[in-house]
Amino acid sequence: MFFKLAYQNAKRSRQENLIYFFTLVIAVASFYIILALEKQDVITYLRTFESAAVEKLLALMPVLYVVALLLITFLVLFANRYQLDRRSREFGLYMVLGMRRRKLFLQLMTEGTITSCFALVGGIVVGGILSELLSLVTSRLVGQGIIGHQLSFSVAAVGWTALVFLLIQCFVSLVLGVRMFSRELHELLYGRADKKQAKGTARGNLTALLIGVGLLGASYTIVLKYFFLANSQLILLASLLGSVLLCCLGTLFVIRGSARMIGLVAGSSRQKQTHGLRTFTLRQFQEFIANKPLSVTASSLLVFFAIVFLSAGASMILDSNSTEGSSVYDFTVVGEDREVEAILSSAELDPYVANLNRLEMGYMAFTRGSGNQLVTDLDWSGLREKLVAALPAGVADPGIQTNGYSINENDPWELNLLKELDSRMMIPDLIPESSYNRLLEAAGFEAVNLADDEVTFYLNPQFSPRTNTENDSGLDLILQEANSATDAPLRIGTHPLYLAPLPPMKDLIADRSVTLVFAIIVPDALFEEQADPSNRSVYWNFCIPQALEEEQGLLVPMQAASNLLMSSGLEYESYLQNFGRQLFYVVASSYTLLYLGFIFLLIGCSVLALQFLTQMQQTKSRYLTLSMLGAEHAQVRRSLYSQVAAYFLLPLALAIANGAVGLWAIVRILNPINGGPQTYYSAAAIAGVVILIELLYALAVARSADHALDQFLLNTRAG
Amino acid sequence: MSKLTKLLEVQDVRKNYGKTASVTQALRGVSFDVLPGEFLGIMGASGSGKTTLLNCIATIIKPTEGRILLSGENISDFGGKDLARYRGSRIGYLFQDFELLDNLTGRENILLPLSIHGESVASAEAKLTELAEFFEIVDVLQKFPTQMSGGEKQRVAAARCLISDPDVVLADEPTGALDTRSARLLMDKLDGSNRAHGTTILMVTHDPNAASFCSRILFIQDGVIFHELRRQVSQESRMEFYERILAVMAQLGGGSANVL
Repeated sequence: MFFKLAYQNAKRSRQENLIYFFTLVIAVASFYIILALEKQDVITYLRTFESAAVEKLLALMPVLYVVALLLITFLVLFANRYQLDRRSREFGLYMVLGMRRRKLFLQLMTEGTITSCFALVGGIVVGGILSELLSLVTSRLVGQGIIGHQLSFSVAAVGWTALVFLLIQCFVSLVLGVRMFSRELHELLYGRADKKQAKGTARGNLTALLIGVGLLGASYTIVLKYFFLANSQLILLASLLGSVLLCCLGTLFVIRGSARMIGLVAGSSRQKQTHGLRTFTLRQFQEFIANKPLSVTASSLLVFFAIVFLSAGASMILDSNSTEGSSVYDFTVVGEDREVEAILSSAELDPYVANLNRLEMGYMAFTRGSGNQLVTDLDWSGLREKLVAALPAGVADPGIQTNGYSINENDPWELNLLKELDSRMMIPDLIPESSYNRLLEAAGFEAVNLADDEVTFYLNPQFSPRTNTENDSGLDLILQEANSATDAPLRIGTHPLYLAPLPPMKDLIADRSVTLVFAIIVPDALFEEQADPSNRSVYWNFCIPQALEEEQGLLVPMQAASNLLMSSGLEYESYLQNFGRQLFYVVASSYTLLYLGFIFLLIGCSVLALQFLTQMQQTKSRYLTLSMLGAEHAQVRRSLYSQVAAYFLLPLALAIANGAVGLWAIVRILNPINGGPQTYYSAAAIAGVVILIELLYALAVARSADHALDQFLLNTRAG
Repeated sequence: MSKLTKLLEVQDVRKNYGKTASVTQALRGVSFDVLPGEFLGIMGASGSGKTTLLNCIATIIKPTEGRILLSGENISDFGGKDLARYRGSRIGYLFQDFELLDNLTGRENILLPLSIHGESVASAEAKLTELAEFFEIVDVLQKFPTQMSGGEKQRVAAARCLISDPDVVLADEPTGALDTRSARLLMDKLDGSNRAHGTTILMVTHDPNAASFCSRILFIQDGVIFHELRRQVSQESRMEFYERILAVMAQLGGGSANVL
């Protein structure tokens, strides 16, 4: 009998209240996803690299578990509180009928457990599907086919999810049970006694509103104006925290203050007062905001954080692709020439080696000049003159700075280039022409053909975005101009050197952690003559043969080659290893951001939705009165929909305003140099998704409220 | 002659609750007429069917059998717009527990029926002022119901009920939740409105004091009308009428009859 009643009640909860049940399902699904993260293709792949950094970061995963646990506990607590509030009268009745608290509590726990079991099944199915999708999408987006796919379903994760979720549910039932039974029976039966309608004075609320606007303004100003002037990490962090705090407070004040303002609008517009249910709608809206300003604020802030986190996470993933184009080699090996050559041409390793390139580079020989300065024989004053001449009007030559230079992305590229060369030309790196030509050949480009008195520049495409490829043609023009001048652009001693057109820029080696920013590509003879023999490095680069890659994919032969190299004892770095390390940072941060973003969004929406339905439930008799006074159903429904729209729109509008400023900051932090429209577009797309989800919630709430109202009016009329 | 035109005709109304196996007959064939300007009381013990009858007239519930005509129109035929119009402007309903919307001010509550039907402001303003003065609620117009006393709430409700000039006011135990002073004041006002403006009122009550303001009283027991009292308005004082009501109640069901 007892179990049957509990079972029926649980069934009723699910049916009557889809939003409540859906919230629980989402809670389970999100917890499952995070626990099953280790089974994701990307993570499995990353685990194949026994890198200390990766291990260290994976060890931080429990922190994310705990954060997720707290958030989900909050969500479950809130959803259950709503459900209990809805049914408080029923519990009051049970108690009037003499049911003992302990028994009622037991019944609540049983109901909770039954509902949880259903939510668990639903949640794990949903979570499993989402997790699989996530795995596929990320491996497609990030892995570019490198990563093989395997099913992401994790039995351990299911077990943990079930255990933790049931524990959460028990904990929540306990907390809510204690809270409910500590209330007076009268309160359970008839709701809370006299709620105040007039919330504060008009002046007080106006002041709150103005303070709120002021705080938001201050927060925005900090972000927009002063954020990027911060010259130390500490100040940056302080201003970040400060602006977020101001933003939170500002949002709270604006929402508090706006409640009474809505009331004033409702009360003052006499001319329109007899137009339908306008006054009623506004008063309802006012009541929603005035009664629960904290919930509405929390929801608004959660949606704001969701917008920022989701955008940051998404643009991280999208941006991670943009740098793939410049790498050519799969492996770089370092070691004694003869040993390396022997191993790479061994029978085992040879099938994996293509486009072998012994790349040598070195600093130009230098001596100590007067004043203990390091000087080379290079004189580039001819070129420098031309660069200065090419500066846009109104920009002055900063002169050669001996103690570093500062690049400002807002300055013209010509100025930045000049500063950069000023620094790099003191002791430049040299690369022999033949080495670079082999690289170009491997990448499928034409070789550079330098005359004896010609050199050209290597400008790393990734690390020198200040002189990115769009400006190469501009730079080429300057170089050609420099060639045609009477004075040679460069000189070594008394030998004039001229500048050949810039070659395509590619990564010199597989390991991205050692990357040259600037070098001069010189004829081999000149290299032998000028490069300091004690300051040279040799990198043996090779690719996996194209045929092998097509046959087996990139991962398998790379793993094989990697194992062979490891057993040989040579020092080596692979593109994948390097890619893996980068990928890990991208995946770790973007997964965390996306995950938290979605959880925030769902909690924000659920809080609003459940709050609205609770309030609606508590005040449903008003709709009966309206109906008795002759309001048509369509009229009441319109009012209801307007209430939902306004109720969702106010926090959303604030979240979007805050989010826009937050996004601006995020784009600049993540991508300080290339923060172009593309990043903004993806951010705007994310904001669009957030608005869409919020809209779906609002629609679900409107439908649910409408349905509840129908039922209520129908029941009362039939009675 | 036109004065004698029947405003409301209740013809053999029956109402059954429950399924065939266990039917409860709340009304077993009630018939009566209400004339314009009449102040009609319906009395009976709890469960006698008086509120069911009022709710049938108010279209809150549908009668199982019988017809209810307002100015010759069958209200059971109303649906959608007509029903809304009927509820909003042709009848006014005064609830026992006021049913004011507690998030609207007094003023907004009173204007609500007009708002619902989108009527003009100018006439509403004048009417509102007049009703507020009449019901002595000018001071509470800007207050919310939680800031008003019970009597004030019910008088605001009465003003809301009258703002749309309904053909008939249906009052369900309007003094039920009021203290004696507030009840007296309310009844004085309803009576005054009936006398001064000829407002037709149909009031369900079991309070003989409130009933003594009526010009005619129907007594209902077990779903049928079993007695009727008329007040000889010009000759009989309210006190005398009150005595007669008590006598009927004592004789026919209210008091000692139940003890037997």
